This record gives sequence, structure tokens and C-alpha cells, in this order.
Amino acid sequence: MATQIPDDDPITSKSYALPYLIASVVLIGTLLWALWDENYAQRPWKAYQDEFVHRYSAFLKTAVSQSGKDQDRLKNSAEYKQLEADYNAAVATGDAQVKQIKKEAAEVDAHLAAVQAVFTDAKARMGADTYSVETGTFDQDNGRVDEKEHVKQVSDLNQDKQKPNYEVDYPGEKGKKYSYVQLEEKYNELRLEKADYVTRLAAAMKPQNEAKAKMDQYVTDRLTSLAPAQIQGIQQKYESWYPQIRQVNVLDTTGPIPGSLIVDRCESCHMGTREPLTLTAAAMTPSGQKPDQYSRAFVSHPSPELLQIHDPERFGCSPCHNGNGRATTSMEKAHGEYEHWLWPLYHTDRKRGNSGNIEAGCQTCHASDMFLATNSGVGATINEGKYMFQLRGCMGCHRYEGYDREPEELTAATQTIRQLEADIKDNTHQIEILRKKADDPNISNQEAEHYNQLAEALLITNSKNAGQIETLDLRSRSLLRDVKKIGPNLKEIRAKLNKNWIPVWIHKPTDFRPSTRMPNFRLNDDQVRSIAAYLWQTAIPDQVQHAPAGNAEHGRDLFMARGCMACHSVGEGSQMVGGPYANLTRVGEKVSYDYLVRWIKNPRQRLRPYCPYEKKDIGPEDYAKKGLAYVFDADHSKCPNDGHELQWQQTTIMPILRLSDQDAADIATFLMTEKTKDPASYADASFMDDPKLKETGKTWIRQFGCAGCHEISGFEDEGRIGTELTVEGSKPIERLDFALLTIPAQRGVEPFKDPGLKQLDASITDSNIILSRLPEGPAAGDWYTLKGFFEHKLAMPNIYDKGKIKGDMEKLRMPDPHLNPEQIRALVTFLLGSQETSLPDQYQYKPQDYRHDIQEGWWVVQKYGCMNCHQFTPGQKTVLMDLPQYKDSPEKLPPKLLTEGARVDPDWLLKFLNDPSLTGGKADNNRNGVRPYLDVRMPTFNLSPEELRKLVRFFQAMSRQPMPYIPQKPDVLTAKEVEMGRSLFSSQAAPCLKCHATGDAAHDKTATAPNFLLAKERLKPGWAERWIIDPQSISPGTAMPSGLFRDEKLPPVPPNTEPRDHWVFNGPLPPSFAGYTDDQTKLLVRYIFQLTPEEQRAVSSRMPKAAPAAGAKSSAVKRQAAGSSGAR
Amino acid sequence: MDWRQLWEVASTPDNIPIVALLPLVIFFTWLAWKQASANDELVAQLEGDPKLAQTHHRKTFPLKPGWSKEVHVWPFLLRVEFLAAIIVTIILMVWSITLNAPLEEPANPNLTMNPAKAPWYFLGLQEMLVYFDPWIAGVVMPTFIIIGLMVIPYIDTNPLGSGYYTWKQRKFAISTFFFGFVVLWVSMIIIGTFIRGPGWMWFWPGQTWDHNRLVYAVNRDLPDIFSITSNWAKILFGAIVVGGYYALGGLVVHSIFKRSNPKDYRRMSFVQYSTMMFLFLTMMGLPIKILLRLALNIKYVWVTPWFNI
Repeated sequence: MATQIPDDDPITSKSYALPYLIASVVLIGTLLWALWDENYAQRPWKAYQDEFVHRYSAFLKTAVSQSGKDQDRLKNSAEYKQLEADYNAAVATGDAQVKQIKKEAAEVDAHLAAVQAVFTDAKARMGADTYSVETGTFDQDNGRVDEKEHVKQVSDLNQDKQKPNYEVDYPGEKGKKYSYVQLEEKYNELRLEKADYVTRLAAAMKPQNEAKAKMDQYVTDRLTSLAPAQIQGIQQKYESWYPQIRQVNVLDTTGPIPGSLIVDRCESCHMGTREPLTLTAAAMTPSGQKPDQYSRAFVSHPSPELLQIHDPERFGCSPCHNGNGRATTSMEKAHGEYEHWLWPLYHTDRKRGNSGNIEAGCQTCHASDMFLATNSGVGATINEGKYMFQLRGCMGCHRYEGYDREPEELTAATQTIRQLEADIKDNTHQIEILRKKADDPNISNQEAEHYNQLAEALLITNSKNAGQIETLDLRSRSLLRDVKKIGPNLKEIRAKLNKNWIPVWIHKPTDFRPSTRMPNFRLNDDQVRSIAAYLWQTAIPDQVQHAPAGNAEHGRDLFMARGCMACHSVGEGSQMVGGPYANLTRVGEKVSYDYLVRWIKNPRQRLRPYCPYEKKDIGPEDYAKKGLAYVFDADHSKCPNDGHELQWQQTTIMPILRLSDQDAADIATFLMTEKTKDPASYADASFMDDPKLKETGKTWIRQFGCAGCHEISGFEDEGRIGTELTVEGSKPIERLDFALLTIPAQRGVEPFKDPGLKQLDASITDSNIILSRLPEGPAAGDWYTLKGFFEHKLAMPNIYDKGKIKGDMEKLRMPDPHLNPEQIRALVTFLLGSQETSLPDQYQYKPQDYRHDIQEGWWVVQKYGCMNCHQFTPGQKTVLMDLPQYKDSPEKLPPKLLTEGARVDPDWLLKFLNDPSLTGGKADNNRNGVRPYLDVRMPTFNLSPEELRKLVRFFQAMSRQPMPYIPQKPDVLTAKEVEMGRSLFSSQAAPCLKCHATGDAAHDKTATAPNFLLAKERLKPGWAERWIIDPQSISPGTAMPSGLFRDEKLPPVPPNTEPRDHWVFNGPLPPSFAGYTDDQTKLLVRYIFQLTPEEQRAVSSRMPKAAPAAGAKSSAVKRQAAGSSGAR
Repeated sequence: MDWRQLWEVASTPDNIPIVALLPLVIFFTWLAWKQASANDELVAQLEGDPKLAQTHHRKTFPLKPGWSKEVHVWPFLLRVEFLAAIIVTIILMVWSITLNAPLEEPANPNLTMNPAKAPWYFLGLQEMLVYFDPWIAGVVMPTFIIIGLMVIPYIDTNPLGSGYYTWKQRKFAISTFFFGFVVLWVSMIIIGTFIRGPGWMWFWPGQTWDHNRLVYAVNRDLPDIFSITSNWAKILFGAIVVGGYYALGGLVVHSIFKRSNPKDYRRMSFVQYSTMMFLFLTMMGLPIKILLRLALNIKYVWVTPWFNI
């Protein structure tokens, strides 16, 4: 123990000054820190706003001087000087009158002001007095209590109004006395007078105001940016800027609880987003510096046209971009890039200069759209993603709302039919019982009637049910036509394939054909052998008819010309050209020639029809039993055994090209030469006949879900094996199985850098290939996100088996779709956007008007690959366009369909889509119906009525045409008009029949445009007139010349001030036209719409046989030869 | 050794108080111990020197002439308290500036967090849930804790050691509290914070908290080990074992207490003594149960349809 005892009392003598000093200083420091934290550290957007105001002011300074220079230049122009002179003249003319009116008005104003000052006061006092009289003798419970007193007060009040109590001091006349009534009159009188002066002044100043407006308009029309005055307005706004939260606050008016739906404060930092001037990162960087985070934050929204459709005041920012719109404390918080915000911002990939996953935001509301058409190109990624999901057959295993709806609908229809049939049976039984009860003599008449009524109601119900069954039958008939599979029908491999090739293919499809759509399943030898054996042994044993050999040279020409390459490709790697479907490079090694001929002739023809009711392939023996011919097609689609609808065609989207037998054989012969090795050189695969392998094969086929893409015996009703992806983007991260990669993913370890990937997939020769599939390169940090999961999954689907010990049946099943980084990026964008949104329904793009038809139509268009041949939206590329054989002869391309709905009669279109040869099913259909001069063939798709309807409505809606379309009958031509029309039609300056087909085989060889005889049924007259006036504006690049007619303006008919259009032929006119005041375009259209075959023949026969050279044409026609494409 | 995992656990804003708790508990225990031993020495000195004891007054120093026998609260006490208040204010302000409330995403009833942990001050209770059924761990034991704390003034008959730190004068009270608070309560909080990971599995510090971790563990009820199948037999068996624990344990503690604290024992009434004994044995039951579970994989000792112990 310390024995040293201090002299002074340690408690009273000890000083705490120093600890107090230190504590106080620290406390004050903390307080200051807290204040700073509160004002700046927790409000980083203030720094952004300061910086923005600083940089934007600098930018505006240069902009205003530039704009000022532009404005000065404009003001010095002769036109402006003229306008200015006009203005000065107008001012000079009206000046005296204006001055006079202004002077008088000023006097009235002064009087009015004097009266108003007194009157306002008087009126207020009178109002109060009146109120006290009204209520003074009034009791709220008992009404008027003293009627006499009340009458007296009222009369006092009225007398008071008559007394001259008020004095008004006019300028120059002080103290004029008025009573209240007089004052009120005077006041109203002066106001009327003032209104009168205002009207007169406006009338007097009208000429000069108009002249002034013209001057201003001249400048604003010609300035590329804003006028200096406007920019100065912006400058003023930011001169006195005080940092403040800028937010979009959208109130929820629909939900059960009123509140804010969207609160987005993004613009507190991103202040330039909606500025009227276009701001770039470079413009927002101080000179001499590199663009920093500020300059990137301040740029204008890159797609102002998107903002116009999606007004930020209604949509905010976060519904499209994600992120935490309410957060303001840091960039990470605001962008939602932290663990607990479930909707992190979508990014563009600045490093690679692509749109990253930013378009995922489109999908959240536009899930019902298959294709988003924009002029600016926004939407390309999401469109690609949605298309890839279909093209690569993802939907074979994964359900996704909207994709491949037919099988489900078919099942539902069948179930409903069964239910309705059972109902009918029940009801019939019930009716019998009710009738019996009614017949009972022991019951009263009333009761009997009641029973009869019930029975009758049930009868009606049965009749209704029968009607519904009929509708559903029709529907399933339609659906059976619409059902398509991604891969070929494997029931026919015995007739189709080189047996020894099959196991080679199944083992790893990309080894045989790197560009195939079939994914690699990482199968071992046993699996390959047993799967091949099952397929071989369960295939239909029928053989196809032997076909004679064809001419390979001619086949090659046809293959190039008929448009096969719009869908199919040839060549591999950099040599590959053609469409997105099957590559035919080594097709000669795998198929049997006879089957190929049959397939090219009619790809929809099956070896045997399939009956979904019996679940059986129906053979000739079934037909023979019923004494029926073995015929199955659209007209013979009922099962001979049970009368239900058959699947009578192949479930391929490949259409029928209507080739002759010889042409089909020629093409097939050519394709058989497409091989790199002899088909006979494949190793013998007789094990496929081993019945022991069959059962194992069945197990593996089920395990790998082969039936998602292929028709396979015994698997017709197999469901999808994958997980549904409709709302995959809102799956909690914990529900995605990263397995042993969970913690490496959180810590940013890139599994593809591991050379041990070979253990997961023996066929990987180089892990760099997998690594190079990642759209944004190896993970640079935490990839424990949906994006990270999807990207790695798509690059190598079984990566999440890494390090796991699993049996063959437990391993991840998803095959390797061998996608490139761009495709993965598109698919990831699509998946990220596949969300359940928290926004109310009206934000979902589910229109009910014509736009719904457009939505529906795109699904059909994309399903059948219509865009491989046709252009639907401006700027859209078709496959054919890029092929070398069309580079120099664009007139040989299929027509553009940009305004198809406005052009053609929907009824005709329906007919045409159903039968593009327009022969009405006649045998001679080896040609195009509208454009026989095109080598490319518009094929027959065997579309169901449902899809036909969707397509027709789609085209009508795309051109905003009303449905239904009621054609207008053109006025019948008089004899004189026929003569005049004919003279235009056959004019030497524009000989229509020189290019347009006539049906005469000799002429049509050189024809490059459709036959006029189709016009009446096919075209809409209004469109035809617009077309002959200016075809280039409807279909840029068409061979049809513009400038055939010129507009001779006619003087306006009052009260209109604009001159009238009057279209006159741009060439020599016969004298009969003298005095003809109607549009000559209308005349020509009427003539064409009433053209008869005889008339056409007559005109055509009179045409000079040796077609006049282009010289004759150019006399009247300015043919826009450059870049002409797409013959009309 | 997964340092990153350790850092993640220690640096979570939720766990900052517990990380602070570790040194603070040690420091204050040491401080109290230091003062207690100084006091104990003084007591010994004064007991041996009655003259000094007469003049001795405050604290550890004997009274000197000129020193006042009493000092005023103001300023001599309040100035120290106010200084402390300032320092605490500083700490709270710095804390609130630098660490935000650990808010997370909106609760999703379909996806609960794993591990789902109680606030740090309840982690001890949550840890108890591992060893007893919710009825015992969540209701009965907390009630006993509260009652136990409430009855301390009524069963503590020792007049010494009030108002100053001492060990020698209150050995039993201090060691009991020390065991109950530091050894049981604090350590259970620390287990709950640092040891319990996903699936409430036992992860040693530095072991990665892997959600995919699988462990094989079978816990059995004590009656099952003795192959008792009938429900009534189980109830009876459990009652005997638990009753036996209280009886035998009571005898052992009684013999020790009587020998080591004869004065206290003599001062206590039967009610006071039995209350203390019951609470003490109940407290000791907790570590015994923890041991049974962790070392011997015994789930429950007393299995009834209504509660399990």
C-alpha cells in the first residue's frame, strides 16, 4: 500500500482544468464535424450542384457568344433586313394611332385607379355591414326573431348606399362625391372603357406585332441551338442557384394507400439530364482537363426521344434505370450498388462502348413486346436478347410468359373440351331425371312446371357447351398448326440420316458444325451410345420414295437465287454467310438424298401423322382399317381412329417453297455435294441396334430434356425441364445456386481463370475460350449478383458444379449453348429485365388499341423469320441485303414492308399470306403471286387462321389503318376519262407497262414491277396515288421513278389562304386534257383500278416492241438511280 | 485462417458494441479488481492498527489535519461526473457520425436471413434457445434472471462491502455474479456474435461462414439413451434426474457454503437460504446443459409434452 500521504487533500486540491480543456476542445471539434457531416458529407449532391453550376455557367458563356454570333449573322442577312424593314414600315404606319390610343388609355387608367382605391374599401365595408344586418336579428335556432327591426335595418342600409359618402380624388379634380351605388356604376363603366382601349390597341398594333413575330421566327428557325435570350434566361436561373434537392415525385392515385409511387432524386446530381441544350461529357469538362466523374454525371440524356415517350414527370428515372431513387447520401447508395438494395443500377459498358445491360429496364414494362422498334436504335440489345431466347431454343427447356404458348394452350383446350363433354353428359342425365319428376302425377302443376323449366335451362346450357366445344376444336386445329419445335423431328431419322453420323453429332455438335444452334451436352460415350440407340430404335421405319438425281449446277443457282440463304447459312467461321437457322455446310455427310429431295419439296410433309389423343403415330394400316386413303394434310386432318385433330405437318418453321420436283432434286443434289468427307467413312455404329441400350437411352433423353426441342417417340407430352424464367430477374440472389462458388463470387474470384475447368467439361481444350465469352471480361470484383450469375452460367452452364462431387444424374443439366459475348450480354440484359415490377399495372405496356395488334404481330414475324427477307422498320437490316449476290442488284431483293398496311387491302393480304402464289391451290404454283419477276421466292407458310389474322392486323396497325377496312368504290370513268387515263398510262414519257408485268410471258421476262390487274383487289387507292406522286418517300431506293407528276398550285378558295394542290402529269399531254381541273394522279389511279385484262392487252400491244431506251423515259422522269433498291 | 471472414464479422456495424465489449469488460474487471485488492489491503491494515482506524476516513488515505471530513457534491463530485458526461457525449457523437444504422432491405417473409440474429444484447437469450425449448429458454429462464436480480437485496445478508470495492468481504457474492455475468452472459453473447454462422452452426473464429456447409450431428434425448420409450416413464425419469440434480447439487453446495461462509449462513433465514440455493443451482444448470449438449450430444434431459429441459 502506498504509504506516501499527500499534503493537500487530493479531492479538493486536484485541478481538472486540463482534462476539461481537452474534453471541451474535442467536443467542439466533434460538434463542428457533426455540422459539416450534416451539411456536406451526408449531402454529396451539394458538391455536384456547385460543380454543375460552375461548369454549366462556363459552358453557357461560350454557348451564348456562339449563339449571339449566329444570331448576328442571321440578322445581317438580306431576308432578315427585309423583315426588319417590313416591321419598321408597319411601326411607322400605325405609330400615330397607337400613340393616340395609349394616351387616352393612360387617362382612363388614372381614373380607374382613383376610383378603384375608394371602391375596394367601400365594397369591403358594405359587405361587412350587409352581413351584420343579415345576421343581427337572426338566431341560429329560432330563425328571424325581430322582423320589424330587421326591416328597419335593411331600409337603413339601402339609404346609406344612396348617400354621397365617398370622395374620389381624380388627377386634376379633387374630392368628387359619390354614393356607393354611383361609385359602383362609375367603376364598372371605367373598366369597360379600359377593355375597349385594350382591344383597340391590339388591333392597331397587330401589323407590327406580326412583323416582329416573323422576324423572331426567322431567327429561331435558323438557329441550331437556343437563342441568346433563352440562354441568358438559363444563365440567370443558375446565377442565383441555391443547392436544393431536385426530385420527381409521382403520386400513386390508384393504389389502396395514397402515397408516393416514385420518388427519384437522381437529378439532384445529374442536373444536365433535361437541360434544353445538349451537354456532352467533353462540354462539361473544364478546358485542359480530362473528363472526370462530374463531367460524366452532367451530360444530357442520350436519347431525348425516349424521354418524350416516357415523360420523367410521370415515369421518374428508376423504373427504367433501377437504383435507389430516394437515396442521396452517396453515389453507391443512390445507384443502389450495395448489398441491401435489390435493384442496382443497370450500366452501359463504357469500357467497351456498348450499351451494357441498360436496356434491361425496357423489359420490365415491355415484356409483352417481342420487338421494340425505335428510330434511334435503342432497344437493339434487348431485342437481340429476346430473339436469342427463341432462336437458340432456350424456351424448349425454360418457360417464359409469351414464348411458345401453343403447347400449353393446346393442353388447356383439350382439358376444357373433356370437361365440357363430361358436363354435357351429366346434364343429359339430369334432364332425364327432371323430366321424370315432372311427369309424376302426384305433384302440383306449379312444381311440374318448375322441373320442366330447370330441364329446359340445362338443355340450353348443353347447347352452349356444344358451341364452345366446336370453337375449342377449331382453336386446337389452329394451335396444332402453330406448334413449332426448334430442332428437327427425330422420329424420322431412319429415313433421313446417315446412321453412323448420329453418335458423332450427339457427342459434340459443335465439332461437326461450329455454328449450330444445338448446344453441347457434355455427354460421355455411354450416354451418346444409349441416346443414339433409343432414337434409332424408336424412329419410324418407313422409307421415302427414291428420287432421281438432279443437276448440281442448276441446284446451286437455285439455292442462291430462291432465297434459301435468308434462313440458312453456308461456310464456317469467318467464311459463314447467310441466315440464322441451320448451316448447310456439311449437310451432304449426314442426310439421305431421297429424304432431302422430299424435304426441299415440302418440309411440312411428315412420314406419319401423329394423333395427340391416342399418343401414337398413325400409319397406313390405321387408314386401311377404316377404308380411307392414306392422305393427311390441311384438308384431311382428322384421325381415322378417333376423329380428333392430327398433327399432320412437321413442326418446323421451314416453309414450302413451291418448287418443281426437278428443282427440288437439283437443289438436293447440290446440297449433297456440301461435304468435307465421305459419309461412308464414319465409324460403324451398329451398336445402335442393341435393344439393351434403349432403356438407358430413354433415361438420358428424359434427363437432358431432348424433347424440349425435338419430336421424339415416347416423349410427345414431355414438359419443360428447366426453371421458369419469366421473373428470373427478381429472384433473390440467395435462390440462385452458386454452390461452392458463393464465397469466391463474393470475393471477386474468377473461376474461369482456373485451368481445372477440364474436369467439368472434358471437351474444353483452352479455358481462355470460356473466359473470352464473358461480356465484360474476367470478374474484376464481387460478382455475387444476378448479372454475374447469369453471365457465368451462360458462358459455362455447369460452372456451378465446380468442386462438387456428383453422380451423372445429379450434375447440372443445362448444355453449353456456345454463345459469344455479345449474345450473352443480350440474354443477360433480357434476364435482368425479367422482373416483377412494383409499379402499378398501368405502367406495363399492354395497350388495347392498334398497338396491341403490333405487339402480337411481332411475335409471329420473329417466329417465322420474316425479317430475314423483308424490311419492317426503317434502317432494319435483312439477311439477304448483306449477301454478295444482292449487293449490286438491290432490285432483286424482296419488297420492303414499311407501309404495307397502308398499301394493301387487308382481305387481299390475308389471301396472299395464305397462298403467296395466288393460284388458288392450282398445281402450277412454282412462282410468286405478285412479283413473278423476282427470283427470291415468297414461300407458303401454312399459317393458321389465328396467325394469319395476327399478321394482317399487324400490318394494318403498323400503318395506323382502321380495321375493318371498307374499300371505296372508285367513280366509274367516263369514256373521255378512259381515253385520257389511257394516254397517261401509255405515255411515251412514262410507259408504265415497260416495267410492270402484264401476264405475257415474253414481256414479263424483263418486267420488274407487279401486274396492274392485281391493283384493284390488292391496293388502297389513296396509297396508290401517294405512291405515283412520290414513291421515293414511301420506299426509299425503289426503282419506281419519282417526279412523274408535278404540283401546279391553284389559287386558294376563300376562306382558306393556302393554295390548293393540283397534280399534273410531268410530260407532254394530249389536247383532250385541256380544261381538265381534277388531279391527273387521281385519274390515273381510277384508270388503273378499273383496268381490264383486255384494256391492258390492247395498250400493251400498242407499245413499241423494241422497248425504247432509257432516254425516252428520262425526258420526263428524273430517275433516282443511285442507291435504288427494293423493286416495287 | 480466413482473416477476411473474421474482419467481416467484427466490422459489421451491428457487432461494434460487442467488439468494444471485449476490452471494456476486461478493463473494468481489472479496474474493479485493482481497487478491491487495494481496499482489502487497507482493511487488513486498519484491522491491525485500531488507532489509525479511528482517524481513517475517505478512501485509501488516512485523514490528515486540515483536510475537511466531508466534501460537497458540488463541485467535487459533479465536476468529475460532468467531465465523464462530456466524454460520453463525444463518444456517442463520433459513433453516430461514423457508423450508420445497419438497415437492410425490406423484410421478405418468403426469404428470411441466415443466420437471423437477435440484437446483440439478446444474443445470450438466443444462444439459450439452442439448449432448451423456447418455453424454458425464452420465458422461464429470463424470468428467473429478473427475479434473481430483484431478490438480491433480500437474500444478501452480508452487511460488509457496501460502497467500495472489495473481494475478501464478499467472496461468494462477487464470484457468483462474476460467473453469471461474465462467464455465462457475456460469453454467450460472444458465441452468438462470432461463433454462430449460417444455419446457427458452430464456426470457430477464422472459419469461413459457408452457407453450403453440412455437418453430421445427432442429438438424442437422455431417456432415449436409456431406451425409455413410454411418455410417462420419460416424464418420470426426467423429473428424477432433474430433481436429483437439485437435491445432490444442493447438498454439495450446502456443505461448501456452510464451511466457507459460516457467518452468512448463520444470518440467513430458511426462505432466504432456499431461494438463494434454488437460483444458484438453476444458474449452474445452464453451463451443465451446455456441456451436455456440446460434448455429449444430449438434446433434452427431461422430456414432457409441455416443456423440455
